[in-house]
Amino acid sequence: MRRRTFLGLGVAFLAGCSLPVIPKRPDPTPEAALGWIRHVDGRYVLSLPRAEIGQNIATALKQVACDELGVGWDEVDLHLPATTDIAHVRATVGSDSVKDYALPLARACATLRKAVAAGRTEGVLTAEPRPIGALRAFAGRARHVGRAMPLEQADAIVRGAPVYAADTRRPGMAHGQVPRAPATPEFTSSPAAWDAAAARAQPGFVALVEDPLLRQGESMGLGIVAETPGALDRIEQALDIRWRTDGSVGQNEIDERIDIDRRLAGGSLSYDLVDEPLDRDGPWDVDLRLDVPPAAHTPIEPRAAVAEFDDTGLRMWVGSQDIFYIRDVMVRRFGLDDEQVVVHGRRVGGAFSGKTICTVELEAAVLARAAARPVKVQWTRGQEYRQGFHRPPSSHRIRARVRHGRIEDWWHGFACSHIIFTNAGLPPWLQRLTDFIGDRGVARGAIPPYRIGRRRIEHDLERLPILTGPWRGLGAGPNVTAIECAMDECARRAGQDPVAFRLAHIEDPRLAGVLRRVAAAANWDETRSPPSDGRGRGVACGIYKQMSYAAVVADVAVDNGAVAVTRLWCAHDCGRVINPDQVRAQCEGNLVWGLGMALTDGLPVADGGVAAETFAEAPVPRLDQVPPMDIVLVDNGEAPTGAGETAIVAATGAILNAVRDAIGIRPTRLPVTPADLLRSAA
Amino acid sequence: MQLRINNRVHAIPPAWRDETLLATLREFLGLVGAKFGCGVGQCGACTVLLDGEAARSCLWRVADVADRDILTVEGLAGAGGRPHPVQQAWLDENVPQCGYCQAGQIMSAVALLRAKPRPNDAEIDAALADNLCRCGTQQRIRRAVHRAAARS
Repeated sequence: MRRRTFLGLGVAFLAGCSLPVIPKRPDPTPEAALGWIRHVDGRYVLSLPRAEIGQNIATALKQVACDELGVGWDEVDLHLPATTDIAHVRATVGSDSVKDYALPLARACATLRKAVAAGRTEGVLTAEPRPIGALRAFAGRARHVGRAMPLEQADAIVRGAPVYAADTRRPGMAHGQVPRAPATPEFTSSPAAWDAAAARAQPGFVALVEDPLLRQGESMGLGIVAETPGALDRIEQALDIRWRTDGSVGQNEIDERIDIDRRLAGGSLSYDLVDEPLDRDGPWDVDLRLDVPPAAHTPIEPRAAVAEFDDTGLRMWVGSQDIFYIRDVMVRRFGLDDEQVVVHGRRVGGAFSGKTICTVELEAAVLARAAARPVKVQWTRGQEYRQGFHRPPSSHRIRARVRHGRIEDWWHGFACSHIIFTNAGLPPWLQRLTDFIGDRGVARGAIPPYRIGRRRIEHDLERLPILTGPWRGLGAGPNVTAIECAMDECARRAGQDPVAFRLAHIEDPRLAGVLRRVAAAANWDETRSPPSDGRGRGVACGIYKQMSYAAVVADVAVDNGAVAVTRLWCAHDCGRVINPDQVRAQCEGNLVWGLGMALTDGLPVADGGVAAETFAEAPVPRLDQVPPMDIVLVDNGEAPTGAGETAIVAATGAILNAVRDAIGIRPTRLPVTPADLLRSAA
Repeated sequence: MQLRINNRVHAIPPAWRDETLLATLREFLGLVGAKFGCGVGQCGACTVLLDGEAARSCLWRVADVADRDILTVEGLAGAGGRPHPVQQAWLDENVPQCGYCQAGQIMSAVALLRAKPRPNDAEIDAALADNLCRCGTQQRIRRAVHRAAARS
């Protein structure tokens, strides 16, 4: 008896406690790709091997499939697969869906086309290697690749048909919510006292759920299940939960711990990205600071999941960038087999790297098991801020020496909290192990794409009491923004036009290409006199993940410290373009995100955590802030790469440089606010 | 109690009368076009038309809209399912990225075009500024409203 009790506890410990589940990252194999396309009753079914998160990858991959199969648009049906439908694919992150999945899909389609042409309509095929030159989809005379096509699921979207996780309805479904202490999940918190009787007396009450699996980070929640969404709110009020929390953090602590000058004053930083010998003490021609605050992903869809247990196991409907990771977490936490957990990936209502870990999904499954009914959980906006992870704050110092019109010395030091090895997924002891190798997400984009005499590029990593992790472009957005601000100041110091100055330093011809193209599109005038009416123009450029290129020109008007972006131009090179309209859409999205980085994005920290409840405390760009945008696509036939996170690296810098051009003030803190600009002007 | 939605009358049982219009549309009636985004009327993802005017369905209690004409995105299409001119414009401009906000954007655009059949950019911006989109489809939204205006 004692022994059985002991064993039971042991299993509960292993299943429930904090050993993290690490996402697997399999490469797409030719064999796996054959599972993405099937021939059924004279038609074809494309099981999308990527999460549809708004990049409209379903449309792009269907274009590839149609051309390679040699069939019309209406002959291929799209299927968003469950984890039991296709082989394990890795998370949809890093702008790699076209780069890494289009060719394997095309090869699979070529194999299938050949088999169908030979009269085979049943059985399993063997993958055949084919060079890209032998693929019809990339042969340059394709019917679908290279054109705009009707977007998959767009008809359902404009008609309001169910396509998202929260749109899922199941027979007998109840609604769930897991209130947590209003504190960062980095602090140990739990419900200390609550009025269960008052909660049970509420109409629509179904269950209160206490379960060790409701711990996320160090935050222990208390589960509620109710018949209707509104009853959840009434029950939570009636519960009147008093929370126990063991820590506190405010804005000043975050700012101080990430402050780059404080860190540089203490000596070298922990991670050398480039360490060429340069004089760190002599005078500098450019000495620039840029501080970037934490920012939320702010998908308009707060994360949601529906879970349902039955005799066979667990079924889930989720809006995740990694349905196989969700499955793996469920398998581990509930002690099930892979086949007993079926996770259906639904269209994701905005992700931006934020829907990469398992949160609401586990809550839904725990509540569904406790209530013995299907349960839907959708986070509130406040939970998105308080319980989610965010773009890490970072603090940059760039110093440069300019001689004879060229950059001789470049020293960039920055401090940031973790991105890939996020504290939202890793407990401190495990994160410390990863610190031996550093965080490539934090370093992304930090090495300038310019010929520079001597470079020192170093950074620190600091686990902060708020959750930080991947955010569109990871470190590349802030890092390249800082670099491009410093390049602008170097050009001024050299007395050169910022486009010409960059071209004189650029090593990669594709980067020079987009810069020339955007300058031409915007009628960039090297001989322009400095403006005096509060209007200004700025430029910036960058390379994303050594694969995609963007350059941006921004026009701004600054009035009493208020910055309005009045027009944006972007030239973009991601190699062979499958759907030009949707590459443009990604550029537009990145420009708006760059505008947000410059002018709106930030999260307040107070009272023990992220202190935002609504869009009022965490604004995003609105329609009246978004100017006309002109996109130039450069396609010289190189292998296709990705467009999802490229232009953001140049957009923010272009806007900040335009502000500098307009009023002579170099913004040093994001987002740029009228108060900061007026203070600098005084 | 009854609700008149898209020219159909639906009986609402007592358990749903204290709910928001948004929750009732989505969870009781299965009209999931209106979306939950913030619950406090700031994002516009839940926009429907009440007696022809744009309204945030997350802010209205079911009991308070019993005598109103409610139009949701599901009720826009014409005979035989032909898309409404605003829906068609959204398709023609390939507006949606993630798409989650777009039903609300479309409903706000429908309300705008009823009040101002030929809006200029500033009028579009003023009418739709409270419909948030995080993906960055703003330029296409503006274009789609103009396209719908030109067609109707």
